[in-house]
Amino acid sequence: MKKRIAALLLITFVIILAGGCWSRVELTELAIVLGAGVDLSEDGRILLTLQIARPGAYTAGGEAGGRGREPASWVVSAEGRTVPEAERFLAMKIPRQIYWGHCIILVLGEELARREGTGMVTNFFQREREPRENIYVLVARGRARDFLETYSSLEKTSAQAAGFLERMKTGYSVQLRELAEMLVSRGIQPAVTAVEVTEAGTMPGQVPGGTPPPQKEVGVAGTAVFKQDKLIGWLDPWETRGFLWLKGETMKGVIIVPGPEQPEKLVSIRIRRGKTKIVPEYNGEYPRFLVKIRVEGDMVEQQTRENLATPEKIKLLEEEMASEIKARAEAALEKVQGEYGVDIFGFGEAFHRKYKKEWRELKYRWDEEFSRAEVEIAVDARIREIGLLTRRAGIPEE
Amino acid sequence: MVKAMLEQGKIDSKQAILLLISLVLPTAILTAPAITVKQAAQDAWLSIIVATMIGLLIAGLVTGLSLFFPGKTLLEYAEEILGRLPGKMVGLLYIWWFLHGNALILDEYASFLCSALMPDTPVIVFFVFVTVVAALAVHSGLEVLSRFNQLFLPLVLGLLLVVFLLAAKDMEATRLLPVFDKDAAAILKGAVIPASWFGEIVIFALLIPFLDRAEEAPRVAVTAILICGLYLLICILVVIMIFGPHVSARWIFPTFNAIRVVSIANFLERLESIAIAVWMFGGFAKIGIFYYAAVLSSAQWLGLKDYRPLVAPVGVVLVALAALCRNIVELLNFLATAWPPYALGLFEAGIPLLLLVVARARGRGGRGA
Repeated sequence: MKKRIAALLLITFVIILAGGCWSRVELTELAIVLGAGVDLSEDGRILLTLQIARPGAYTAGGEAGGRGREPASWVVSAEGRTVPEAERFLAMKIPRQIYWGHCIILVLGEELARREGTGMVTNFFQREREPRENIYVLVARGRARDFLETYSSLEKTSAQAAGFLERMKTGYSVQLRELAEMLVSRGIQPAVTAVEVTEAGTMPGQVPGGTPPPQKEVGVAGTAVFKQDKLIGWLDPWETRGFLWLKGETMKGVIIVPGPEQPEKLVSIRIRRGKTKIVPEYNGEYPRFLVKIRVEGDMVEQQTRENLATPEKIKLLEEEMASEIKARAEAALEKVQGEYGVDIFGFGEAFHRKYKKEWRELKYRWDEEFSRAEVEIAVDARIREIGLLTRRAGIPEE
Repeated sequence: MVKAMLEQGKIDSKQAILLLISLVLPTAILTAPAITVKQAAQDAWLSIIVATMIGLLIAGLVTGLSLFFPGKTLLEYAEEILGRLPGKMVGLLYIWWFLHGNALILDEYASFLCSALMPDTPVIVFFVFVTVVAALAVHSGLEVLSRFNQLFLPLVLGLLLVVFLLAAKDMEATRLLPVFDKDAAAILKGAVIPASWFGEIVIFALLIPFLDRAEEAPRVAVTAILICGLYLLICILVVIMIFGPHVSARWIFPTFNAIRVVSIANFLERLESIAIAVWMFGGFAKIGIFYYAAVLSSAQWLGLKDYRPLVAPVGVVLVALAALCRNIVELLNFLATAWPPYALGLFEAGIPLLLLVVARARGRGGRGA
């Protein structure tokens, strides 16, 4: 009997405690953070901005009624000396428990990135258990807060829009864990996607009082270049492509080349795939790098009138394509190597892989070595497909 | 000397292999990668291979020694080899080690659950809960523990592999290059830590008498060590290929972080619950085996006929010992610096080696004898 009572008590105890009542939080009690932004406030403190999902606006039919579109997110900010302090101040404004588990992006304001660097911010997002390792890190041209306050017309929120842009690798997408790796490694300096708020399209339809105002949208604005953890400059979208090809990270983009017979008219080639190989060489004095870029693309448009669907013409186009890619890669390289003097390409890592003994010495002054390294770019470009047309349609028969 | 066996149950070789995997792997997967990578950077996988070989040597030593004294556990033959008093001393040391080691495992178990899952729950709750469940298992005997383990461990090992496979998208093999970047000393230093985990197989010396075919003990131990080595190798490769050596070394539980990274098509993600399930099970099994070792050896040391009365008191001591650990920094520091010489040097290799040498010198228990 005694045993039975003891067992019963034990079972009750377990049922009560193991049933999940401890630290229980209902979904409706959570403030789900979609994006976080960190700026430097006027007095040099941290301004933390959170974009929080409003689950009510996610339900179907929310868009009925044309005008009264309910925003799907809510943006709040607070200041503090550290990120957790700002978060606690935010907790006084947010009537729910702040939940970081679904945070997609972390946006750093330009000012903060330049003056204080990432180190002041990112540690919290790694040390805390809720934010994930695959948060995308972005640098806003301007303030992070403005970026998060922008709506997206296509996605529910600007944080989600930025997340999708990153996932499609429109720029140099970098996750928090990758940023950490770049920060800690001597063979590569950090660079992340730069974003900005731009005036994009308009919503069709009538608004009281005339045409609708142009809409603010978030967009990728190139790449932010860091020296250690501080922002030192930008690459514009055009240079970013060259940078990405050099890195072999994302082989995307459209190459515009002059027509073989009518140089004033242009031919567009879309890159489909490619590969980049960095071959380091060291003669004991300075490192040299041979970068082999192999690109494969399809011709997607011609403005010229000539027939490009001949093997000779394609060969000519391929040569033009190769030199165009080379020119853009060189432009990016020149800016990074000459102007910024930081190795965001990871040449140092490649060097380390091949010359591990020499690296032990060179790594402490790698940026210097990188700045004076000789880099040769060799591009092998191929055109595979030309779309659904051979000769240009729409030109009278000769 | 005819004595009633303390443990009536018998386990077969397969169960023993699985039990030994549970004895080594759970905490090894959780905390060993970071500590190893800290020493050997991207060459940590070489350290694991070296550590596996050390583990094999220890397995050979322990099973070899046990086979000289069929039907006897470590504590019993220690007395036979060294004499009554020194043997008792050695036995006492081992009992302490089983308890202390288990307290550390409890600390790791609770720290992980606390920092990764339930920060609001006091660690003592985890201590008490897992100890109570483990006490039930130990009370039921070795056979129950083994069967439970046999049921769940294959599932755990399978799940772990699946999760690692899913993380393949985020891995880059170039992160493992250059090989031999660190010198041999660093690789060996890195090997010492996982080796001290593999060396926990010394507990097998308590279980060999309960194998239904004791002569298979060496094969069992070797298989278990090889499987553990393989898993730890995969684990460390996955971690390095995802985070690179520098970041891997800075996480506390890098395997957990690696599993968190999995995100396939923005849909199949947040798999850390699997990691936690694996750890909940694995931690429990490991704690159970150490607990059993402590209880069984205490009973033998005291010359009791039944070990069951000791289950509750040992559990209380266990929780109290675990609660002595003040914070996770202390724990990690102890594991990285003090544990290898303490566990590997003394209990896993030192004393067994001493026993072997003395046994040989005194001509006791020799194969030919």
